Amino acid sequence: MKSRALLLAALAVLGAFLVACKTPPVPAVVNQAIDQEKELWRAEAAVYVPEEYRVYLSSLRLARDKLIQQKARFGWFRNYEEVEKDFRAIIETGQALLEKIEKEKALRSSAGAAEVKALREQFEKIKNFTLTIREADDVRRSLTRGEVALREAEICLEKQKLTELSGKIRIVNIYLDQAHRFLFSLLARYADEDQINLWRRWAEETVAESREKRATALVINKLEKTLTVYKAGKIAATYNIGLGKYGLSDKLHAGDEATPEGKYRVVRKNPQSRFYKALLLDYPNEEDRQRFSLAKKQGLIPANAGIGSLIEIHGGGEDSLTGGCIAVEDSVMDELFLEVSVGTPVTIVGSLKSVAELLTWLKGGRR
Amino acid sequence: MKNAIKLLVLGVFVVSLFSSCAKQPTQEINDAKAAVEAATKEGADVYAADELKKLNADLTAALDEVATQDKKFFKKFTTAKEMLAKVKADAEALKATIPAKKEAAKNAALTAQQEARASLDEAKALLEKAPRGKGTKADIEAFTADLKGLEDSFAEIQAAIDKEDYLGASSKAASIKEKAASISGQIQAAIEKVKGKK
Repeated sequence: MKSRALLLAALAVLGAFLVACKTPPVPAVVNQAIDQEKELWRAEAAVYVPEEYRVYLSSLRLARDKLIQQKARFGWFRNYEEVEKDFRAIIETGQALLEKIEKEKALRSSAGAAEVKALREQFEKIKNFTLTIREADDVRRSLTRGEVALREAEICLEKQKLTELSGKIRIVNIYLDQAHRFLFSLLARYADEDQINLWRRWAEETVAESREKRATALVINKLEKTLTVYKAGKIAATYNIGLGKYGLSDKLHAGDEATPEGKYRVVRKNPQSRFYKALLLDYPNEEDRQRFSLAKKQGLIPANAGIGSLIEIHGGGEDSLTGGCIAVEDSVMDELFLEVSVGTPVTIVGSLKSVAELLTWLKGGRR
Repeated sequence: MKNAIKLLVLGVFVVSLFSSCAKQPTQEINDAKAAVEAATKEGADVYAADELKKLNADLTAALDEVATQDKKFFKKFTTAKEMLAKVKADAEALKATIPAKKEAAKNAALTAQQEARASLDEAKALLEKAPRGKGTKADIEAFTADLKGLEDSFAEIQAAIDKEDYLGASSKAASIKEKAASISGQIQAAIEKVKGKK
């Protein structure tokens, strides 16, 4: 009886003791930190702030281990003060990381948008250029593949998938570089120093003649697709032009659809040509005949091919594709008809750019 | 003597009560980990990344609970076992959803591929009808080369599908469809231009 009473009393004391000891709750900051870690993961912290994220995760793990230590204690002896401090510090760090990620994303988005815009301009420039280049199929095929990748890059930008963006831009640049390589192989002549010097000499001689005689002269630049009017050695006007399908090649024979290069003169003014008005040039000149004979001897042109003729500056629009002539807008032909007379020098050059300038121009200033 | 025996029995009873859940739930831990790994292998990291992240977070919480109990004198793994069992069940449920998500992504990629094909064929048909003349010659040559480039890109869609990169395939197909439609628009404009000049 006595022992039973003692036992019951001991159990009652034990029960009261257990009830009286309140276990302190786990601080709310613990769950907040765990939620924050998910937010950082969603924000791709591992991509944008990898080292800081690694340190953050390490700190979080240490804090969780400390929490485990406290939770393992008997309720009455638990003290979450240090744990709470640690988790608060982690949350502060996490918040700073989130802000840093947002800034980094904004920077990358802005830089990505600028790069995509510059690439698109590059593509447009080369595409327009290919309209006058012989055998430009490979260039355009590469450009089209690059444009598909460029559109994918734009979609990444729109959806703010910035980690995928750099990969897409890399692919775009691969196709753009491929297009450039094809282009350079087609424009080998335009990178020949001797050829460039010859063209420059022709242009200088023509401008000098215009200055000395205080007369009008025309200089046509095939690469830049421009016709410049000189009066007394000074530029009076510059117009855009259209060329033959293979306009950038130097004309060799009839039907090659190339635009000739050399020093010519206007021999006839036709006010009612098939293409509005026309200025007939004295192609072929002596150099053209010599080149033609040599090429025929070397078997470079068909045996029955003629040298060609009827190379004109005519109307019909600057976006025309001629058989070798130089096309301008009808309104420009009206201007030229007033300025030009029979005997006016017309010098046609491939380019006046140096090789370095050519490369920079083609690449749009890209490194 | 009787009292001593009673106290001894009581003591044994109390100790066994507290130690009945004292074994680490090793099997449950391994099962939960294996289930999460299986869900990941199935493709949860691609098709249900958010849900997989939550699963991993729950697994970490469960393992923390195991570690907490392990440090106690009177260990009790009941809660930890429940948490691990939930992780296992959730992982298995998530794994079961992945094939359907994959199938949906694959179907979306195939649909996008078909739409790109249709857009490309439409552009080719339109180019066939485009009038050939001095003013359109350069454009037609250019468009022909462009469509060849699009065909080259189109082949990449199937390569992406074969690699199960369905999102990549869909993105590429959408770009090709857009570009083909743009070329069709340009061809149409060129046709109208020729008609206008006549």
